[in-house]
Amino acid sequence: MVLDIQALSKSYGETPALQEISLQVRQGELLTLLGPSGSGKTTLLKVIAGFEAPTSGRVLLRGRDISRLSPARRGVGMVFQNYALFPHMTVAQNVAYGLKLRRVGRAERERRVREMLGLVRLEGLEGRYPRQLSGGQQQRVALGRALAYDPEVILMDEPLGALDRALRIEMEEQIRGIHRELGATIVYVTHDQQEALALSDRIAIMRAGRVASVGEPAQIYTRPADSFVAGFFANANLLAVREHELLGDGSARVRCGDGEVRCASTAKAGDRVTLAVRRRSLWRACAPGSLRVAGVVSEMLLFGDEQEISIQSPEFGRIVATIDSRDCGGIVLGAELELFVSAEEAVLVPCV
Amino acid sequence: MTRALLGDRFTGAASAAVVAVTTFALLVPAALVMVLSFSDDRFFDFPPHAWGLHQYRTLLEDSRWSLALWLSVRIAAPVALLAALVVVPTLFTIHRSRLPFRNALQVGGIAGIILPISAYAVAMYGVYAQIGLLGTYWGLVLANLTLAVPVMLLVTSAAMSRIPVELELAAMVAGASRMQAWFAITLRLLAPAIMAGGVLAFVTSLDEAVLINFLGGPGQETLPKAILDSVRYGLEPVITAIATLLMVGTSLAMAFAVRLARRGAL
Repeated sequence: MVLDIQALSKSYGETPALQEISLQVRQGELLTLLGPSGSGKTTLLKVIAGFEAPTSGRVLLRGRDISRLSPARRGVGMVFQNYALFPHMTVAQNVAYGLKLRRVGRAERERRVREMLGLVRLEGLEGRYPRQLSGGQQQRVALGRALAYDPEVILMDEPLGALDRALRIEMEEQIRGIHRELGATIVYVTHDQQEALALSDRIAIMRAGRVASVGEPAQIYTRPADSFVAGFFANANLLAVREHELLGDGSARVRCGDGEVRCASTAKAGDRVTLAVRRRSLWRACAPGSLRVAGVVSEMLLFGDEQEISIQSPEFGRIVATIDSRDCGGIVLGAELELFVSAEEAVLVPCV
Repeated sequence: MTRALLGDRFTGAASAAVVAVTTFALLVPAALVMVLSFSDDRFFDFPPHAWGLHQYRTLLEDSRWSLALWLSVRIAAPVALLAALVVVPTLFTIHRSRLPFRNALQVGGIAGIILPISAYAVAMYGVYAQIGLLGTYWGLVLANLTLAVPVMLLVTSAAMSRIPVELELAAMVAGASRMQAWFAITLRLLAPAIMAGGVLAFVTSLDEAVLINFLGGPGQETLPKAILDSVRYGLEPVITAIATLLMVGTSLAMAFAVRLARRGAL
């Protein structure tokens, strides 16, 4: 384990920003802190980096308590959303900055800068100044600067937030590649689920200063821990449940609308529950043992190969379904539509 | 055409006219003085009867003017330097600390140029008389400093707010102490603005004509005071040459300062 966060809390005056956060980051993994703005993910990163002191709790880096150390003595690297490159230094000087402070010799420094610029594919640009580079190139310099002195862990604070979509996808690929190649341990902050899914080994979903759920992307996606995780991470519809019975093997019998299904469950006895149904788990064809959801079509958005159909159901309120365009024949705005939820893709979750 | 557009056109034309008249009113006397400075006449007359460099020769020969200039420079140079020494820590306090009264510091810092200068001069006269600073060199330096600090603070504060704090954080994560980050990154990026502020502080002090009349003692004749006295006790044409040199000098200094400030912009 590289990073061990133990019962960490941080408050600004009376306002709690982080509450009792415990989180472990393993060697060589990319862990994403995912959450809406104000959920505390950036604050957590700042506490790890040493820009903010925790109110209580500890941060251990390879077993060493770094909670009270200055940022300089923690041995972490960081990539900022707005690059934060030193404008008066060239690309090479930016990358060499951490090495220079560590009194690495000139020859070794130059070798290391060449290596880093090769890694982030910026060979030939070492003499340029940041303002002469594009946004994507600047962020690659920032990545090189953070990696150059071989830190134990690299913190990334929404590093792709300022880039446009096409560039973001390209950079995601590059970050994945570098992560694999170096086996670097990375804590990555974002509010974008797609980015988190594309990059992460594990994801910690944050809500109101707490970690709502930690796990592998597929696991969080298919077995969300609660209604917030299901709604925020998987964009799931939350259906009101009439009755339910937990069956003890991680599944439950659920009466919902005019049907009854057996489905997976992450709820505990006594929880208030709701049925999480992802947008792609709604079909036009009725399979045996599926739930019927009906309502008036209120919105249709064409996404190319698929369409996003919203229906207004008297029983469940607004339901959004993503349906293959080939199956969309006969769907008319303002007309009645019935859809079916396949039971194996629905999850009973506790409400938060 | 809509009414709003017409209104726009009218205000546009009106403000252009105001700017034109103001500029004209400012520039004509300045141009006139410059023209007059190349007159060889003994007395003011326009247009001059004879052209030449007589006024500039008089200026060089009369030690009174060079002494006055020398005193002004001897005050303005330390004022600019001391202003930087006061302003730089103030900037870091205002922009980088979490002190509760840091905004009050910003307002207090520029008070010197908000207060009416004559009222301020009376107040300083009272204080100086009490502590025996009247008519002293350091008294004048201190008085001019209270005017130069606000000027410099305004220029550099704008530049400081354009330097993202993340740059310091990035330096610190990479292994720099807070002091190293401040010196190697923030102060380095602030340097052009500090230089520009220094030039403005120097010019402000060089040009100071009110406080000197209250706080200066016998024999303490700065350039603005010498000009004022010369006008008061009989008009000597030589002041056209001084005025011209002052205008050209400060314009060049200002242009230099503006260029520095622009180069410093991120």
